[in-house]
Formats: sequence, C-alpha cells, structure tokens
Amino acid sequence: MKDIKEISTRLKIAKKKIKKNEPNINGSNAASLGKALKISTEFVASVIVGSTIGFLLDIWFGTKPLLIICFFFMGVAAGILNVFKAAKKMNEKL
Amino acid sequence: MALNPMHQFEVYKIGPEINLNGVNLSFTNASLFMAISSILILFLLFLGTKKKSLIPSKIQLITEMSYTFVAKMINDTAGTNAKVFFPFIFTLFMFVLFCNMVGMLPYSFTVTSHIIVTFVLAAIVFVGVTIIGFIKHGFKYLELFVPKGVPVLLLPLIIIIEIISYLSRPISLSVRLFANMMAGHTMMKVFGGFVISLGLLGGWLPLGFSVALTGLEILVAFLQAYVFAILTCIYLNDALNLHH
Repeated sequence: MKDIKEISTRLKIAKKKIKKNEPNINGSNAASLGKALKISTEFVASVIVGSTIGFLLDIWFGTKPLLIICFFFMGVAAGILNVFKAAKKMNEKL
Repeated sequence: MALNPMHQFEVYKIGPEINLNGVNLSFTNASLFMAISSILILFLLFLGTKKKSLIPSKIQLITEMSYTFVAKMINDTAGTNAKVFFPFIFTLFMFVLFCNMVGMLPYSFTVTSHIIVTFVLAAIVFVGVTIIGFIKHGFKYLELFVPKGVPVLLLPLIIIIEIISYLSRPISLSVRLFANMMAGHTMMKVFGGFVISLGLLGGWLPLGFSVALTGLEILVAFLQAYVFAILTCIYLNDALNLHH
C-alpha cells in the first residue's frame, strides 16, 4: 500500500514537470525569430512590388507622381493581406 | 581591409575572363562555392546510397533522414499530388542548405548572401509554380486573384491587391534568405573585429558573443533552407489545389 502511494505522488510530480516543459517545445526563441522575419519580409516585399509597379506605370503613362502614390498604398494593403494570411497559416499549425 | 565586415561578400574572378556575346561568364569565387556545394551533395548522396544495409551506417542514415524529412514536408504541406515534384524540392532544399552550411566554414564564401542568387532561385520557383498552375487549371487559375464573397464594387481594387500580393512572393522569398545570411555573417565579422581591436583585455566578451552567434548562424542556415523549401511547397499547394 505504501509503495502505491509513493508511486502515485511520484507520477504527479512527473506529470507536473512534463506540463511545465511543454510550452517550451513549441515556442523556442529561434522559431519565433524565424516567424517574425517571415512576416516582416512578407510586408516589405509587397510594398516594394507595389511601388515598383506604380513607378513603371508612371513612366509608361507619363503621370509622374500619381500612380506611384496609389500603388504604394495598394502595396501596403497587399502587405497587410500577406501578413494576415501568414498569421492565419501559423494559427492553423498550432 | 580584413577588418571590413563587408569584405567577405566580395565577388572576384578566378582564372581567365570569359566573354560570350558581351555577357561576362567568368568563373568567380561564387561559382566555385556553388560547385563545391553541389559536389558535396552528390558525394554525400552517392556515399549514402552505395551500400544499402538494413542497419544503416551514419552516412546512410543522414541521407535517408534528409529524404524522409523532405518527403514528409511535401506530404504535409502540399498533399500527395505534389509527390511528383519531390526531386525539384529536394534539390532546392539541399542546395540552399549546403550553400548556407559551406558558408559557415572559415575563409569560405556564402553564395546565398547575394540577392541575385536567391532571387534567381525564387524566380525559378515562381515561374515554375505559375506555369504548373496554368497547365493544371487553365484560365481558371486566375480565380486565385478573386477571393469569394467580395462585393462587386470592391472587386477591381481587391484584384489589384491580390496580384501585387502574388507578385511579391519571389521578392519576399529571396529577400528573406539573402537578408538572414548577409546580416548574420556581417554580425559575426563585426564581433570578430571587436575581438581583435579590444585585444587581450577586453576581447573575451565579444569572443563569447562570436561563439554564440556561430551557433545561432548554423541554426539560421538550416532554418532558412527549411523555410525556402516549405514556402515552395505552400506555393505548389496553391497551384495544385485551387480551393483548399
């Protein structure tokens, strides 16, 4: 009888230890760093692409500052959309 | 000169200059390290598959692990349909991984720290995925730019935004790999420079940082190769299964 009690308390302690360690497995520092870099580049790339398209169209149509401003904001919108999609995908994984 | 942290990224030609119709095709140190990485991959895979024993040797184990790693990644993210593209993604993953890892050796050159290299890799993926999408779905592939349940009034704006978001894929893919590799290697060189300039008295702290950074960089080298491959899989998934 005494042995069983001892084993059960030991089990409890072991289970607690496992619970304590669990969140560390998913959220290691490097993985979070990777995710952060992923999202930031996603945003920046869209802004760059949008502005480049606006710049090229401006040269093409001769409407110098107008289209680049429009497409810059569209690039920002696309960037937010990309970040949103990436974050959604990360949520699915968890 | 040697203390300049950007000096390590200099491309110089080895051997004679080769000009083909005005295109400079000289063999540079970048080409040399790409060739070294490719040969190392071939060597590893050749050694790993030479003696197929039931109880694997260490090299066979590494080879089989990299195989199952990539196969599982494709299966999880792009589905069984994408099994056909295993050779391409495996090649891409191994090439980026080995370029990153060879760059970690002292006196070597990191090919992936040049944006033109990563951009070409990303552009191949981008063009390939787009072509696959059009072959698989025809003009229905363009539905990718039209999300469901959007009011007609907003549709022109949304389509432009979606197209920009689609076009930004190769940029974000290439910039991520390039920026990570370049920033990491610059940091390592800067801390290495601190060790020299602070001398025997104050140099121990940056030396410790250098050691820690080296470990971090090896992790980043692996992580970035993994991210590059897994994003290729995700784009492939978008092209193969339009509505998932």
